[in-house]
Amino acid sequence: MLKKILTSSALAAIMLLTASCATNPSETSEFDQFDRFETFNRAMFKFNYQFDKYLAKPVAKGYRAITTPFIRERINNAISNLLEPMSAVNQVLQGEFKQSGVTVGRFAVNSTLGLVGTFDVAGAWGWKKEISGFDSTLAKWCVPDGPYIVLPLLGPSTPRAAFSLAVDAYMQPIYWAARNDANTRDKILWASSALVYVAVREGTLDLTDDLERNSVDYYATMRTAYLQNRAKKNTCINSDAGNVNYDFDFGIEEDE
Amino acid sequence: MKKNLFLSLFAVMFLAAGSTQAAVDAAKAEAFVKNVTTEGIEQIINANVSQQVKDERFAKLFNQALDLDFIGQFVLGRNWRTATPEQRKAFIKVYRELNIKTWSQRFDEFKGKNFIFAGTTPSNSKNQIFVNSTVPMDQGEPAKVVWRVKQTADGFKIVDIIIENVSLAITARNEYSSFIKNNPGGVDALIKDLQAKVNQPVAKK
Repeated sequence: MLKKILTSSALAAIMLLTASCATNPSETSEFDQFDRFETFNRAMFKFNYQFDKYLAKPVAKGYRAITTPFIRERINNAISNLLEPMSAVNQVLQGEFKQSGVTVGRFAVNSTLGLVGTFDVAGAWGWKKEISGFDSTLAKWCVPDGPYIVLPLLGPSTPRAAFSLAVDAYMQPIYWAARNDANTRDKILWASSALVYVAVREGTLDLTDDLERNSVDYYATMRTAYLQNRAKKNTCINSDAGNVNYDFDFGIEEDE
Repeated sequence: MKKNLFLSLFAVMFLAAGSTQAAVDAAKAEAFVKNVTTEGIEQIINANVSQQVKDERFAKLFNQALDLDFIGQFVLGRNWRTATPEQRKAFIKVYRELNIKTWSQRFDEFKGKNFIFAGTTPSNSKNQIFVNSTVPMDQGEPAKVVWRVKQTADGFKIVDIIIENVSLAITARNEYSSFIKNNPGGVDALIKDLQAKVNQPVAKK
């Protein structure tokens, strides 16, 4: 059971990289107050870093070397297409009925005319893609985010984001297609999770290299980047939208 | 019900009043950022000159367009107050050098791309405004780039760049305060580490 959740979570994890939402961390510029478990988190970050350095990153680089941008785009589209059912359900939960209809239509068109999702035909028709996981639903319902945690292999997260991952895992078509035969299901889930992991890692190679090269505290850089992004994507009705989360008093140190 | 109506009326009036009182000329601020990016793309990225000339031009443009003294102070945060004048000077210097180095590399990524400007957003900070832009990417969604611009006696200055919701200034501030907190060497150790980053060879592409 746990294995099942973990496996499919890995698949859904990717979503959180793009579709995460958050309750409002703060109007201030300090994010370390959300890191109650810093000692644990730093240790986990170190472990993930080693895993990445010796396995994930070399594999992602190899994947980049043997594929062309055209092929990678096809694969990324197919992965993203499998997230549309999850998005459709969450859009209903968020009251976005119109977009949910668009999402269902996109999934139908792209899965068929778009050759199992490798081409975004519906997008070319102007049917806008909006990926939405359970985390953004909880954000909209104003469920608090909780402290910052670093998950094994999956990296920066929060209790709400981690819980949402498990929920999202059950909304993956691959999970449902394979659910009848335990043996093949595990194989399919592991293989697809691994592919998604590699594809996503490839997409972030340049960014993480740049950040790491220019950081004196890489852990803190990743933490603040993750939390800033979550804060901004928060859609809870009680919080202000717009630039507010980095619109603190920027001149405060000026007059002392 | 009535109360809600009044509240929303009040909110609308408040918003309207706020926008007319904006101290910063939005159109001029946007034009300023537009000029900076155009100059960067035409005079540096697309120019047919040696890398050395490009680096010099970039450093010049960067120093002109950004208020790095201001950003550096903000980035050091509460540690600025306790730092000695020598530490402050050394920090601003190394922070400037590191930023010129990293941004000239990052700027190269904009080769063949352009900024599409999408208006401004008011800021709560005095004399500041956000200029919104997007950069179409080869794949996927366009990247969102927001510029925090400050009106100074000396014209407009960029004081922060927010790429895909992540602010350059807040990121550096959190990173450096975390470093100082965890490092017995404090600000001096930070300056030393940043200097090492400046000195390390440019990454090959």
